[in-house]
Amino acid sequence: MARVKARVKTSSLGVKIFLYVFMALMAVFILGPLFWLGIHAFVTNWTYPNLYPDGWTLHWWTRVFDDSALETAIRNSLIISPIVVVVSMLICLPAAYAAGRMNYPGRKIFLIGMFAANSFPKIGLFASIATLYYALNLIGTFVGVVIIQLLGTIIYMTWIPAAAFAAVPRNLEEAARDAGASKFRVFRTITLRLAMPGILVAVVMSFLASFDEAQGSYLVGAPQIFTMPTEMYSLVQNYPIQVAAVFSLLLAFPSVLLITLARKHIIGGQLAEGFQIK
Amino acid sequence: MASVKSEAKAENLEVKSTSRSSVLGFFMAAPPMLLVVCFVGIPILIAFTFSFGFTSGPNRVVSIIGQEIHKKDHWWGTFGAYKDVFKDSRFPGDLRTTIIVSFLSTFLTLLMALGIGLYQRIMGGRIAAIMTTLCLVPLFVPVVISSWAIHTFYAGDGFMRSLLSHFGINFPTVTSTVSAIVIGSVWTSLPFAILMVTSGLQSIPDALIETAQDAGAGFFRIVRTVLIPLAITPIVIAGTFTAIGIMGSFTIPLFLGPNQPTMLGVEISNFFGAYNRPQQSIVMAFIVFTAASGIALIYIWANVKSAKQSGRI
Repeated sequence: MARVKARVKTSSLGVKIFLYVFMALMAVFILGPLFWLGIHAFVTNWTYPNLYPDGWTLHWWTRVFDDSALETAIRNSLIISPIVVVVSMLICLPAAYAAGRMNYPGRKIFLIGMFAANSFPKIGLFASIATLYYALNLIGTFVGVVIIQLLGTIIYMTWIPAAAFAAVPRNLEEAARDAGASKFRVFRTITLRLAMPGILVAVVMSFLASFDEAQGSYLVGAPQIFTMPTEMYSLVQNYPIQVAAVFSLLLAFPSVLLITLARKHIIGGQLAEGFQIK
Repeated sequence: MASVKSEAKAENLEVKSTSRSSVLGFFMAAPPMLLVVCFVGIPILIAFTFSFGFTSGPNRVVSIIGQEIHKKDHWWGTFGAYKDVFKDSRFPGDLRTTIIVSFLSTFLTLLMALGIGLYQRIMGGRIAAIMTTLCLVPLFVPVVISSWAIHTFYAGDGFMRSLLSHFGINFPTVTSTVSAIVIGSVWTSLPFAILMVTSGLQSIPDALIETAQDAGAGFFRIVRTVLIPLAITPIVIAGTFTAIGIMGSFTIPLFLGPNQPTMLGVEISNFFGAYNRPQQSIVMAFIVFTAASGIALIYIWANVKSAKQSGRI
């Protein structure tokens, strides 16, 4: 690696300047909109084309917490997402183990089927599901929203742990067995522990997928059940921009927290690994 | 709870013979598959019959609630709803917008992901690390927030226009144009593409690159003849996944795009909810399905190819 770097590291000043300019533009492109919206949560008003707001305030935060519709949405989100993650773990983790470690009839169909299901455009699928929901009386119900969000977590909860289970070295388990450990102990102390980073990333991604899911929950949940993301659809039309900004910060908080915790594993390749058929 | 369950199953597994463990594997894999069949496969089939005017059975309720429902007039159904959609004056513009946005956004996303990924693989270093981390940020921002943030950033009184007006530049209002949909789509698609491309490029051994260099190959030649061919599977997966995601997107065109023409994702939702014409909405969904399944085939093919190469299937 060092040799590769040494060979090509003859970049001129021009190339360096280009790189820094490109990086600065990327930073503005990616972070700019987030900061711009975030700052609005604390301003009284912002007159175009000033680069500074007219004044600072925390008034919009009290307004969000005093609004019962917004409060209900926050509560719904905080109840639904953990339920979705737990149900998803119960359904998917055994399958992930099977997909990663065992050979069974129909395994190939299972692998391809899961990917095919994920390949369909979401909004069309949601419209189809909503049609069925009318027949099942699930439109506008809690269970209906949970199922919709559950579908979005399956891909994370099966693939990432499957890759993690498959990557646990068999000889390590065999060595532990030879040393006299019981099968249960080997699974708990070696297989599960080594697969843990993958499972953790899957849990984080599933929670965020559920917590952030907007399109499906909106189509089958509104107007009876609003979660935080679906509330955003009406929020941006009916409230001042500062209220949407406060709500956005609240909605982004769990993501930032969870990602900081799992950052190492996500960037370390667990996520990308999981998206190829293992 | 789940881990206890899988522990118990793993325990059983090792006790039983191989043939029985394969049966066990099948039953362990069944629940998520069953969920997908029940809530993806079956709804699609039922919706398909609904689009052709089969209005009884599971389609009865939606047929009563919806307006302008076409009931089948032949044994195979009717093309009524399809005719409605194709005759609709807005449809050609919507379809064109959907295709242009999907194609352009996927192209730009792949270009950026490849540029940054290749730079990171060959040069490494701090700049590359910062850029990759930067591109992962959108992964953790809910799409409703990012769409709205981008909306305000490029709006008439947004940051871009405010900043550049101080330099005497009249930056155009990008919000509510098709360009804004492309910006939003690239923004949200970038992290996944970067992750796939970098993980593909990292798995290429240094020795191969060094050998090519020893043989006198330059940067672009190495990229073209060594790196891209060896990482083509993850690149194809990244591209198809991105294209399918954008084609069916709803929030980004809703917040960022013009009212007319818009992307079919928004129109599907409008027809289903606001206009209460579920049958026409489903017809549009199948038009997007058809376009996307072509892309999905490439995606599955790339996955199977990669799985075969490493002997996993």
